[in-house]
Amino acid sequence: MSLAEEYTDTTDASRLERGLAYFQRNSRAYLLIAPTALFLLAVVGYPILETFRLSLYQSPADSNIETFVGLQHYAEIVTSDIFYQLLWQTGRWVVVGVAGKTVMGLLIAVHLKGDIRGRKFFRTAFLIPWGIPYAISAVVFRWIEHPQFGFLNAILLKLGLIEQGIGILGNPDIAWLGVVVADIWIGTPFMAIIFLAGLQSIPQELYEAAAIDGAERWHQFCYITLPQLKSVILIATLLSTIWTFVSFDTIWTMTGGGPLSTTATLVIHIYQVGLQNGNLGRGAAYSVVGFLFLFVFAIIYLRVYTRGGDEL
Amino acid sequence: MQSSNNPESSEDSLDRRQLLQALGAGGAIAIAGCSGGDGGDGGSGDGSSGDGGSGTDGGDGGDGGSQSIQFLTMGVGDNIQQFFEENNAAFEEEYDVDVEFTSVTWDNARQTVNNRVDGGQAPDVSRWPARWIPQLVGKDALEPLDDMMDGEFGQKFSEGVAAGTMYNGSHYGVPWAASNKCLYYNKDVFETAGLDPENPSLDTWDDMLAAAQQIRDSDASVPALGLAGADAIETGSQYYHYHWSHGADLVNDEGLPVVNTDGAVDALSFYTDLHLEHGVTQSSPLSSTRQDIRQLFENGDLGMVIGHVYTGLNIDSAKESGDVDFDYGIVQVPEGPEGRYSLFTIDAITILSQSEHKDLARDLIRFYFDEERRFQYSQQKGFLPVVEAVGERPYFSDSKNWAPFVEASEYARARPKLSNFSQFNDRMVQAIQEALADQKTPQKALNDAQSDLEDAME
Repeated sequence: MSLAEEYTDTTDASRLERGLAYFQRNSRAYLLIAPTALFLLAVVGYPILETFRLSLYQSPADSNIETFVGLQHYAEIVTSDIFYQLLWQTGRWVVVGVAGKTVMGLLIAVHLKGDIRGRKFFRTAFLIPWGIPYAISAVVFRWIEHPQFGFLNAILLKLGLIEQGIGILGNPDIAWLGVVVADIWIGTPFMAIIFLAGLQSIPQELYEAAAIDGAERWHQFCYITLPQLKSVILIATLLSTIWTFVSFDTIWTMTGGGPLSTTATLVIHIYQVGLQNGNLGRGAAYSVVGFLFLFVFAIIYLRVYTRGGDEL
Repeated sequence: MQSSNNPESSEDSLDRRQLLQALGAGGAIAIAGCSGGDGGDGGSGDGSSGDGGSGTDGGDGGDGGSQSIQFLTMGVGDNIQQFFEENNAAFEEEYDVDVEFTSVTWDNARQTVNNRVDGGQAPDVSRWPARWIPQLVGKDALEPLDDMMDGEFGQKFSEGVAAGTMYNGSHYGVPWAASNKCLYYNKDVFETAGLDPENPSLDTWDDMLAAAQQIRDSDASVPALGLAGADAIETGSQYYHYHWSHGADLVNDEGLPVVNTDGAVDALSFYTDLHLEHGVTQSSPLSSTRQDIRQLFENGDLGMVIGHVYTGLNIDSAKESGDVDFDYGIVQVPEGPEGRYSLFTIDAITILSQSEHKDLARDLIRFYFDEERRFQYSQQKGFLPVVEAVGERPYFSDSKNWAPFVEASEYARARPKLSNFSQFNDRMVQAIQEALADQKTPQKALNDAQSDLEDAME
């Protein structure tokens, strides 16, 4: 045995020993978390594995027989036009939705932090959209935007800005915007309350010192508020991105993914393929693709975020 | 000062512990929400079940009932809930059993049935559209009911109606309810447009277009015609009248798609021209579901619409309560170059193969097909009677609302029974939308649909 091998062996042995010693020291802790870990494996791990398994099979709606097809679903997905259309539409939906919620949430939080009249009322009131089930909010917005019965069209008609109702949700070019508006309305309160909590943790002395130095409000916002809120904004937008990505109720209730699938996202398509059309294997493959997208996104996002030395 | 209210303000970011606390709180809320939801669901289910007979009669069933039967149905609304409550209770008493009655909304219906079948928890008896039969037969989920339908019981139904629940030469259900369609027109709008409301001359599609153009050019301040174009299953249901009447079909005798024939192109061209060229429809058909245009008509804000019998019943009801005030007429769906068709839909009541109470399930079906019960059901629900003797009653044949629909049975045509009809229909709706949005010509839209459907049905 060479010196290097001996050295390696020794190192391995010591690592093993260290590991065992560490496990023995913490055995009670591992024992205590074991039930929870097993539970999580059962309720989180198993469905993910089962979805992956299902994605390797042809599982037609009219039969219990599953045929192994390997990676065929994946190959067909990545070579289909609809996949890239869905990626574009999902990306557009997530980016615009999260940006809208973030900006609106920040604006509301900044205003609610100030000493405005009726602050308590507004703080409670602006939570209402978040408290209403998404599907109900979506129905309300569908009616607001309805070409014949809608509130929005009624106002525009009264003002003489249009001659007949505009079917926002029926127009392939702008339907997605009609849905995004509803999603921003629904999701903004969450962002606002997170930002408000973050704003309240910023030491007031920083603003006072900046004011003494002659910094305008805008400069205070740019150089104190935003940097201090960085970690909060990153966590909030990460969560919001995930929720927006997997959001189903709002789109489905308002447009069902139409017209011409222009408001369909990956999640809507998964439902249509897997559950509506009964092609469980293909739907599962789409689910795995969606899961991988989110997984990779979360890792990259957190890596970039923690690179500067911050930690969650 | 703000900071004085914030003892932890020195921490300028969320640390891991805070995040875990937040997630923990979120998790607790989620679990509470899930618990509440489960409870709610359960409550809802119990509620249905209770409504269905475990209320006052539940005690009786509990005392004496040695077995129970699960009865799943869809879309039990206010107008028919009492019917099921009373009859389930009567069945429980007569047969000394518990009826576990559950109603789900149509949105969740298909998934509920599939989940329960796949999970080995199928109900004993279930009611849903007959077009789902092929899919469930493919899963060996349905009990053939030839023994019932080929005997005396089956003679209650006309041949056409009975055929609605057949697949591969066997009856896999009993026709539960049927619906077809006619063309409604607003007599007040017709009068304003100078059309004769009592003799509207709406025999052909061209007649309908001519009337619509006259309405469009008149002082009537409502759209002439309701056109469905939204991304919804019913858009296909509305369009197929045009498709079939132009000699087009959806599938051939071998079950292969044939959606882009010359007749089909003519039909879709006519359908889209109503909006794009003639401008006689409501604005933005792509935003409008069948329900939307029906609602417009029921409000008195539309000249014509193809609708079910309950459209007229709803208007009568609204007129009685003073909500609307206009007269309407009903004529047959217009005729095309190759005939006249009225989309016919049959709901079936079936026995699931997994049932351990198949005899009792047959008893439940026979019980619900008592003639008086069927009369009561059709009357309250607003569906065409499936039992011949009920349909012959003067209540239907002499009624201003019902008579045209009884006559329309002559033109009845059902959608093809395909195991993947939902997928098929979705693709057809996409073609309709592509043409309506002027993104593709009708020819191109149907050619593309044909190509995709051929791939899907290989």
